[in-house]
Amino acid sequence: MTATRAWMILVGLSALSTLAAASGIAGPWLAVAVLPVAGLKGRVILNHYLHLAQAPEIARGFSLVLGLFIALLIGLAILPSA
Amino acid sequence: MTANHPLSFSQISSGGPGGDAPPASPSAQAPDRPGPFDKLPGEFMMWVLIVSELLVFGAGLIAFLAVRSTDPAGFSEAQSHLHRTGAGINTIVLVTSGWLAALAVQAAEAGRIARMRTLLAPAAALGIVFLVLKASEYADLAAAGISFETHAFFTFHMLLTGFHAAHVLAGVGLLALVGVLARPRAVETGAAFWHMVDLVWVLLFPVVYLL
Repeated sequence: MTATRAWMILVGLSALSTLAAASGIAGPWLAVAVLPVAGLKGRVILNHYLHLAQAPEIARGFSLVLGLFIALLIGLAILPSA
Repeated sequence: MTANHPLSFSQISSGGPGGDAPPASPSAQAPDRPGPFDKLPGEFMMWVLIVSELLVFGAGLIAFLAVRSTDPAGFSEAQSHLHRTGAGINTIVLVTSGWLAALAVQAAEAGRIARMRTLLAPAAALGIVFLVLKASEYADLAAAGISFETHAFFTFHMLLTGFHAAHVLAGVGLLALVGVLARPRAVETGAAFWHMVDLVWVLLFPVVYLL
């Protein structure tokens, strides 16, 4: 993936987060909508701007930790409404 | 970009060339095997910094949401005083700046120094735009009589975004420095720091400004 395509994906994902927040979704559903998008953006930056795509084993490790981190954030975000 | 950092992880572990580590055991003198981090792109020490920073900010965001779960109404009310639109614009500003920095690395590797500087200059300028928007949010909060101590939300908000803004400021200086040095390795390292700043923001923004 080129740097320009990575940038276009990041802008698109940012627009998606903004649309979700502006759509009136609130509470736990907003967390479920925007936090995975943030995780995807993080993966794009790690793999294509920081070039972890060249080291697939390390990229998988980062993706796993990032995924667990996002899952923990979603859990904490929906805690008040549980 | 290749993983050609001067010292491999295995060399660092054994004290490095010319280091004062004790003589290596026979098993350690076996022919070099690729270390677990030899494939890591860029400078190894920059990755140590990136992981350290991600852990610090990650812990901060976890603490933020843990405290928020004790007072969701108070956090929601406090959040309404922030510049959400400005923060959204700042996301695009940083993402675009990171793109320009990535293109600058490619230009440096191709030996196109003038193009590299032409790309790094707006990348750094967008960092300053980010800081101006952030400063305007802080100024409006201060004008409304809101400080660190007003509510736990603002304590976290100012600590997390203030610490991040300090990194943006450092990153702007770093981009200017590597633009002057014009060495591909330096540009790559400076850009890696800038991408780390970008990465922290894309994780921080939804937690502090949207939820």
